[in-house]
Amino acid sequence: MKNRDIAIIGYSETKIEFRSGRSVYDLAGEAMAGALAHAGIEKSEIDGMAVSSSFADAGNPFYGPILSGYLGLELNWCQVTDLGGASATGNIARAAAAIKAGLCETVVVIASDPQSSENKQSIGAFRGEFQYPMGIMGPPGYFALISQRYDHQYGLDSRALGKLAVTQRNHALMNDLACEKLRKPITVEDYLASPMISDPIRMLDCVMVCDGASAFIVTTTERAKKMGAKKMVHPIGYGERVNYLETNPTPDITEGGHRAAGKRAFERAGMKPSDIKMFQPYDDFLIAIVMQLEHLGFCETGRGCQFVNERDMTYKGDLPLNTGGGQISAGQAGLAGGAHNLSEALRQLFGEAGARQVKDHSNAIVTGIGWIPYGRNWGSSTALILEAA
Amino acid sequence: MSIEFDPLAGQRPAPIQLNFSKPFWDGAKDKKLMLQYCPKSGKYQFYPRPVSVYSGSRDLEWREASGKGRIYSFSLSYKAPPPFKDVKPYVVASVELEEGVRILTNIINCDPKALKIDMPVRLAWVLAGNTNYPVFEPA
Repeated sequence: MKNRDIAIIGYSETKIEFRSGRSVYDLAGEAMAGALAHAGIEKSEIDGMAVSSSFADAGNPFYGPILSGYLGLELNWCQVTDLGGASATGNIARAAAAIKAGLCETVVVIASDPQSSENKQSIGAFRGEFQYPMGIMGPPGYFALISQRYDHQYGLDSRALGKLAVTQRNHALMNDLACEKLRKPITVEDYLASPMISDPIRMLDCVMVCDGASAFIVTTTERAKKMGAKKMVHPIGYGERVNYLETNPTPDITEGGHRAAGKRAFERAGMKPSDIKMFQPYDDFLIAIVMQLEHLGFCETGRGCQFVNERDMTYKGDLPLNTGGGQISAGQAGLAGGAHNLSEALRQLFGEAGARQVKDHSNAIVTGIGWIPYGRNWGSSTALILEAA
Repeated sequence: MSIEFDPLAGQRPAPIQLNFSKPFWDGAKDKKLMLQYCPKSGKYQFYPRPVSVYSGSRDLEWREASGKGRIYSFSLSYKAPPPFKDVKPYVVASVELEEGVRILTNIINCDPKALKIDMPVRLAWVLAGNTNYPVFEPA
């Protein structure tokens, strides 16, 4: 990756909608058609596909092959990734690896999930046995435990979280693809006054589940040039960690896998956090942004809120944050939500972000978060560093 | 506001038991909190696993826990997921047991405003479906 031999030559994101009534296949089709048009290549060039699993068609054991059939693709490599919100970034790395291994040449990476219209998830395992009977309120409940512990150890500054909420909301107001229900201005006071779901998690800490899809075209830089690609973005560093401190029965739940994933991504890219021009992190809850700033090394442990207070994280600022609104203000398209921040990073790196274009758009870090293990911090962490060619 | 014996009484879904957890649920019938213990590493683990998470070994024992622990973290929850309906606020907590493992549970018989991290708690039992289910109350 570091030698810039892999290129992303096209991307596309659908409008994010609440209860659109559309199928996972329809949204995937719109995203793929958009990405092909953006890259300016024919569908026949595609010989590999990596797709994120979905809530909408969870339970379909043949999702990858069936989706590729709907899209008219004949593939030399087909992969479904179930790292939750970490799947989209993970699939860029998987596509790069498959291409470099000679399994295929040009991959379409797809993330599609109309979760607000259809949700067929059925996660048994420990959840049915030791979670559902005690009634924790899903991710907000888990993030409440993490937040309470963070507050105990370091102090949690609600106004810093409010600043993040407002910064991202202002970005969503500038993003025509963001869910319309969320495109209303908010203030720090609105954040502080929003109702508690699972104290200390407020309504405005959380994502709203929506419908949407994204697609990306990945190939070798050499082939991209042969196909006449005018613009491209190189993935130059990637790190992934599934489970963190797993064999510690009493881990610090304010610690997470981005410590490991971020270290690998920065090492591979030959970069450090201060080299990063744009921060496009996975945001299912506001505190996840604060914790990722710490885990990735942008600031010291426990200083995330102070960092947020001191920096300008608007698209015009010194470390622009989730310039498309993030999932919290643009809407979370189920398990495809992890592709929203990736789409926005590419839009910025291609210089196609319009009124919210970041001035120095030479690189970005995009992260993914997937699922929450029993009583711990999040279970899947990815970090992907992208560089404009 | 104080929280009654079990604010979720009558609504808790029965646990969907996995085969290798049987000693846990057999113990629960007698209100005994049973934990897996890995003799090779000398450590406990929870939730039940098919192997020791420490060594990967299948050599696991079941030992009864003391039922004493401390609150590691907690939340006063105003909403509950399905199948719960119209619940009063209830406390979700991660309790660290003396044996060195944590359990996700509820704190009952308490004043939620008085709850603090590190507060000592003790085992109590409620019903989930018709199955005894472990929760905790201030010690």
